[in-house]
Amino acid sequence: MIIRMAKVRVLGPRARLSETLAVLQDFGLLQVAEGPVRAGLEPMSQSAFDTRRRRQLARVIEDAQFALDGLGVRQFAGAVPTPVSVSELARLARLARRARSGVARLANDEARLNEERALIQRYRDLLDALSPELHKISRSPHVVTHAVIVPATERAAVEELVSALATQSQHSIVARLHPLRSGELVLLVVMPERAAAHVERVLADARLPEVSLPSQFHAASLSDAVPQMLARLEEIPLELAQLAKDRQALARECTVGLEKACAGAHDALARLEALARCSTTSRAFAIEGWAPKTSAKKLMLLLERQLGSSVAVEELATEEWTGEDVPVVLTNPRLFRPFETFVRMMPLPRYGSIDPTPFVAVFFPLLFGLMLADIGYGIVLAMLGLLLHRHSQPGSIRRTVAEIMGPCAAFTILCGVLFGELFGDFGQRTLGLRPVLFDRAEAATASLLVAIGLGIVHVGLGLVLGVVAKWRQEPKHAVGSAVSALMVAFIILALLAALEVLPHNFLTPSVIALLIAFPILVAVEGAIAPVEFLATLGNILSYARVMALGMASVMLAIVANRMAGAVGSAIVGLLFALLFHLVNFAIGIFGPTVHALRLHYVEFFGKFYSPGGTPYRPLAHWRPTPAASSL
Amino acid sequence: MTTWWIPVAAAACLALSAIATAWAQSRIGAAGAAALAEKPELSATVVILVAIPETMTILGFVVAMMLILRA
Repeated sequence: MIIRMAKVRVLGPRARLSETLAVLQDFGLLQVAEGPVRAGLEPMSQSAFDTRRRRQLARVIEDAQFALDGLGVRQFAGAVPTPVSVSELARLARLARRARSGVARLANDEARLNEERALIQRYRDLLDALSPELHKISRSPHVVTHAVIVPATERAAVEELVSALATQSQHSIVARLHPLRSGELVLLVVMPERAAAHVERVLADARLPEVSLPSQFHAASLSDAVPQMLARLEEIPLELAQLAKDRQALARECTVGLEKACAGAHDALARLEALARCSTTSRAFAIEGWAPKTSAKKLMLLLERQLGSSVAVEELATEEWTGEDVPVVLTNPRLFRPFETFVRMMPLPRYGSIDPTPFVAVFFPLLFGLMLADIGYGIVLAMLGLLLHRHSQPGSIRRTVAEIMGPCAAFTILCGVLFGELFGDFGQRTLGLRPVLFDRAEAATASLLVAIGLGIVHVGLGLVLGVVAKWRQEPKHAVGSAVSALMVAFIILALLAALEVLPHNFLTPSVIALLIAFPILVAVEGAIAPVEFLATLGNILSYARVMALGMASVMLAIVANRMAGAVGSAIVGLLFALLFHLVNFAIGIFGPTVHALRLHYVEFFGKFYSPGGTPYRPLAHWRPTPAASSL
Repeated sequence: MTTWWIPVAAAACLALSAIATAWAQSRIGAAGAAALAEKPELSATVVILVAIPETMTILGFVVAMMLILRA
């Protein structure tokens, strides 16, 4: 249901405005509306100081959030960050700036080390191949090394080139070819210093350039660079571990302060925004806002106790604010609350209209259960829901999904019992399970009738809710909705009488009633009414999808069971059957969810739902949202 | 009396409605994806819009089933 709201006006001396806003923030239930503009009252003007302060606060929030994210603080350590004073906020702002730069420095160092390690790792293969040889010659003075990577296909040509080099040169040149894991070859040429220029020229002419080492090792020779690179590979993990320790130390030092900074800056920003909505005279202020009807009295008592008689509070009469944009708060029993998520996926219902959550909470699991309808799948769904419930935080999206899965699983099991399904026909074949109502795989007509019957009930309920919703504001349209609902009922009666489900005597009165109702509908709702009425009949027929999806689900399950015996090997057949059941289960979760939602949003909500409500955002102390702290 | 046309009619019933749905969904899906890129909060509306043409296939399936069952 939608909570009843009261419009409250707070009046007091201008000097106490900031103090009043602070008390209202502590109270946490008043949404400050745009200030009243009447003779003598003017909206609060925003000074350059206010604009600068807003910018500073936004910067504090950004710094603190950046630092918290960088330190990996996902959930606030303190349950509730305590409010902070202005002077403390200045200190916390400095802390946030310092923590931000510290986190940024740590992140830069970490990125640099990781990059360096990745770069050296790219040479790892080469280093492993050359290291033993270079180690041997590292003690020989006046010796130069030259490494070249060549494709494996050019091995013969390179060997020929090397032997020619050794023969032509009067110096002793040694060349070794080492295979790399990539399939290429590394050619290491060791030569006296005197021969280096000649050899390098020959290799360059043969288009065999020397291996290019990372930039920080460019200055060193190959025989010096390789051990240095190997040493860096051992040092980098130690340096990274040190950075991780530094980060932990910074987190220990700053987390509480950063959380306070975040909360304090958000609070101060909220007060500034509320201040901008106040109206003032030269000596007094006026604040108007929305609070739940039940808390209005509490607010009056609180302000009187905290600020004395100089600040007055009054509740405005409903006539004064009817038609205004009242914020909407949905409140539902605990069992229904998870289904508010489906309602919130649409624009919120307008204040004074109907909150469809209780109806969604009943019909969504029912439709879902009718479509999946399998004891086995229901048990698996319940187990998944329990698992998700255990590994989720209260108020998180995962918890909401788990709480929706519970009733869906219950209805799936219940409908599975009614239709005698346990993993398709597995229960019937092995355990002798029999349907209580009918077998969906056989009785397509009965299944269709159940689906259409449910559609009649659901759409009929929507039409009745439409009458109730429109009765106060648009009585003419309410009559139109009522006539539509009656016409649906007459058509059903006529059909049942024609099919001899009901006594034949019902047919003529039903048709006469239809003929009387039709012109009334056109007179009340206009020429478009017959089209809308036909759309309502189409909406009811749309519930045939419940039967279609249900039949598809059971058929797939039966095919999965047949697979177990269709393949030569029993184990392979069993695996195929399990895989097919898994696929069917996945489809069975997704399909019914989307279609049950669609039946609600299009067929059911279309009859009464009035979107356009604004969310309720009271002036309160900032709290990290569950979605931000944990999914 | 030969009843070969009954399964053919049932198949045509389902196939034609499925083709029509696929064509409609391809248009709506493309437009919906473009809308979501700019306004992610429209996800519920887009799901509804994409699911609307499925009614055609569902009704095609129901009619096909009725044809088969009456045969």
